[in-house]
Parts: sequence; C-alpha cells; structure tokens
Amino acid sequence: MPGIIVFSEDGALAQQLLTPALELKKTLAQPVAAITIDENTAKTLATLGADSVVLLKAEKATPEALAPEIADFCARESAAVVLIGGTQRGKHVAAQIAAKLQAGLTTDAKTLAVAGNTLQCTRILYAGLAICEEELQLPAVATIPARTFLAPAASGSAASIETLEVKPDTRITVDSSTPIGTSGVDITAAHKLVSVGRGFRKKEDLKLAEELAAALDAEISCTRGIAEDEHWLPLERYIGISGQIVKPDLYLATGLSGQVQHMVGCRESKVIVAINNDERAPIFEAADYGIVGDLYQVLPLLTAALKN
Amino acid sequence: MPKLLACYKWTLNEQDIKINPADLSLDSSRAKGKISDFDRNAIEEASLIVEKQGGTVDALSYGTPAVKQSLKDALSRGPNKVYWVGDASAENADAFVTANVLAAAIRKIGSYDFIFCGEGSTDMFYQQTGPRLAQLLGLPCISYVEKLEIEGDVLKATRKLGDCLEQVNVKAPAVVSVLSEINKPRIPTLKQVLGAAKKPNEEIKVSDLGLTPAQLSPKAVRKGARGFVMNRKNVIYKESDASANVAKLAASLAAEGLR
Repeated sequence: MPGIIVFSEDGALAQQLLTPALELKKTLAQPVAAITIDENTAKTLATLGADSVVLLKAEKATPEALAPEIADFCARESAAVVLIGGTQRGKHVAAQIAAKLQAGLTTDAKTLAVAGNTLQCTRILYAGLAICEEELQLPAVATIPARTFLAPAASGSAASIETLEVKPDTRITVDSSTPIGTSGVDITAAHKLVSVGRGFRKKEDLKLAEELAAALDAEISCTRGIAEDEHWLPLERYIGISGQIVKPDLYLATGLSGQVQHMVGCRESKVIVAINNDERAPIFEAADYGIVGDLYQVLPLLTAALKN
Repeated sequence: MPKLLACYKWTLNEQDIKINPADLSLDSSRAKGKISDFDRNAIEEASLIVEKQGGTVDALSYGTPAVKQSLKDALSRGPNKVYWVGDASAENADAFVTANVLAAAIRKIGSYDFIFCGEGSTDMFYQQTGPRLAQLLGLPCISYVEKLEIEGDVLKATRKLGDCLEQVNVKAPAVVSVLSEINKPRIPTLKQVLGAAKKPNEEIKVSDLGLTPAQLSPKAVRKGARGFVMNRKNVIYKESDASANVAKLAASLAAEGLR
C-alpha cells in the first residue's frame, strides 16, 4: 500500500514529482505510487524509481472524472502524502481529493519535508510579498508547480503498471475542447525574455522590444495589463501569479514597474535587468542591472549595441 | 430565473503590507481591507447575469469580525442580500475550514442554482474553495471559467484547463469558479453605493452551523510568515547620457555571459 502518491496529467511534471516523492520516501519509509493518464508517461515513470504506476484510462481527462478516481485510490491505499502537479486541472483535482480525505492542501509548495506526523511545506502569501511555512497533519496533499524539481535519474528497475478505467462524470458534458498556446511558443522554456508593460504607449511600439529580443535571441513576455486589458499579446505570454511562472537566464523588464503580483512570476530568474524611466519603480530593487531612462530612447540604443 | 450566490473573502490589501527590514516580519497594521480581487469577478459575473436576464443574486462571506466592513461594498456591486459569518476562527482558517463553514452556511440559507467563487483569494491564493465546496455539497464543479452564460437551468461555460479551452455544460445546481479575465468588476456608482445601504444583510453565527471543533480547526497551519527578500546586485546606471548607460549595461550582460 503506497503511502506516497503522485499524480499529474502532464508527463514532464509527473516525472518531476517523483523527485520530492523519493526524498519523502527516505523519511516515511513507504512506497511511492505514480499516477498518470498516458501510456508513454506511465512507462517512463516505471523506470524512474516509482514502486508502482497507475495508468488512468479516461475517455476525457476532465478534473471531475479524474478527481473521484484518484481520491478513491488514495483512500484505498491509506495515502500519507499526495503530491499533485500544479496545473489548473491538477489544482482542481487536488482540492477535491483533499476535501474527500478531509485533509489539508498546500497550494504551490516550494519545499516539502516530513517531520513526525506532519508534512512541512513552504509557499508564498500575498501574491509573493511573503513566504510562510505550513504544517499539515498526515494525510496531507500538496500541489507543486512545474519545474520546481528536476526529474530523477533512471533507477534501473521497472515498476509494474496497473490500468484503471475512469468513469466519466455525466453531470458535466463537454461540447468541445480546443488546444491553446498553439502559437507554438512556450515562454516558460525560453532562456531569455524581454518583458513589456504599460510603459509602451501603443501596440506598434512593441516592435522596439521585439527588435531587442531578436538581438538577444529572446522571447517576448508581458504584464497582465498588456495581455488581459490591452490584448496586445496573447494571455500565454503574461508573467505573474495568475499567469506564467518563469525562470530564464535573463529577464529584461522594460516599461513595467515591478508590482509583486508580476515579480512573483519571474523573481527566480538568474539575471534580472530593468529599464524604466521612474527611478523609484520597485523593479529596480528586484534587478541585478538597470538603466533609468526612457525606453523609447534606450531600447534602440541597446539593440544596436548588442548587434555589434 | 436563476437563483445565484456569490462567495467572497474580505482580505487585507497586500499593497498596504510592509516588511520590517530588521526581522522580515510583516506589518499589516496599516493595511486596509478589500474584497479579494478574483471574488469581485465572481460577484460581477453573477450580478451581470441577473441584471440581464432576471433572477436573484445573494452574496456570502466568511471572515473575522472585520468582514462586517465589507457588506456595503459587496451590496453596491449588485447582490440583493449579503449573508456573513464573522468569527475569530477565520483568522487561521485554511481552505478546509473555509469550505466547511461556507457549505454549512449554504445548507442553512437554502438552495441556489449556481454558486460562484473566484479562482483564489489575493492573500492566500489557495485556489481550493470552489472545488472543495462542491465536493462537500455533493455538487458538480466547473473551475477556471473565463466565459459563461445561463440558459434555463443550464450553465454553459468556457473553462481553461492549462493546455486547452473546453466548452462545457452543467445543469443546476452547481458550483463555478471564475478567472479574472471573465469580466471587469464595476466601480460602484454613487447610486449603487447609496442603494447598498437599503439592502438587507444577515449574520450567521458559526455556533448555529452545527460544525464540530475538528471541522473548524485548520488542517494546514500557517507558521512563520516572513517577507520575501530579493538578493539582487542592484547595479543601476542612471547617468544623463543614455549611450553611456547602454554601453555599461551591454558590458554587464557580456560579463554575465548573456550576449
């Protein structure tokens, strides 16, 4: 009976979850079961140190169909710790599992450890202004964002794979399903980002940032206001607490003030550069390097300098 | 005609919270309260539907006794009536406790066709209340909704599932949690603010909800909140000569191996 259970519908994230799970196994001394929804991921998980793998076969992998199945599995196996990949689907599933197990649930755990009969996690509060520790009585559930951990190395063993059929939740009908982010750009994978905010006066002016991005071999990202209010860039490019969380080597922020809700999405970047005309903007406190100046003047100069 | 309920949390405005540099403790003594940002979207969406096609919308909040300060603001955003549970237990509540209280309060008030929640609260951002509430009430839940409409007793929603957008339908009763992109919450007009004073509010006591002490004890206990500090180099070039600044920045980027 596996006491540590991990689930993600996202193959890469499911693998990453095994790293904290195997770490917790050292303290808890209980087996790890990994749950996913596609066969290839299941086969990979079986080689990465999971003691058993469960492949959920669902006609549609909706949260309402997955949640009861995984919750029942956790209850059956008397789970001590359940780790769920922190996607939107995953968070919904995690909340319903926690409700069913009458357990605590840490959202977006950054670190995890077991001490005695508790799970200790760290997470952020107030949109990133603060961090705190949470102590959860076992059984406990936590969601973990993508790329918090690296996937473990192959263990050399092969775990068994059990297949479970998932019953659909007939109360909710799905008319259609359209993939998003088909523009093909995954900014969370970019090594360098040039990020734009409301310091740009009109959409056409973004070409200044695009030219700089081209010179740096970077992608363009933005604040929530640019994506959600102005619609100048697609939603999948906005950085922040409710948008994308990125950790590029270079995050060059221009024309954005650096509000905490935005910075929480990029503050783990290796190097942060700020270009802003307001010397008192909080972005400068969060930056390694910065230029106080008008972006309309600075960006073309910087683009030219980088091209040389 | 739909009978709707919008749940909201009265939170501290995070912009007002200061970090004490000496010990990184949080100073919220000057922080004002606000209706959590995403919950404003929930109230707005329910109110828009009722204003357009009839029906009723109530609001419900669980918080510390300070939640009383929120009633007028909530009512000025559209709801006909607000129910509130003001209790010290909310200070340390996690989503487990919050969902227990809201579910018990809803059972006491009566039934609704659709219950609206925000995606998460701006302070704790647990993103659990909607799905937990649905589980406790035995209702289906559609989360992360960016667009919705109600036709008869069916709610049609476009929900975001990370990698895809799904068009889904659910029959009343159900719980929905909405994303911030679903609407732009109103800034109440003077008329709406004055009108709010005439609308009813009703207190619900935790002691009348029949909850056990265990149901009111958080499963996730928050400890040791401290300010997040950025350890950055803070090398800022601010000469009046933009070209000189740019040359220095370009050299810094080269030194970091980023050119």
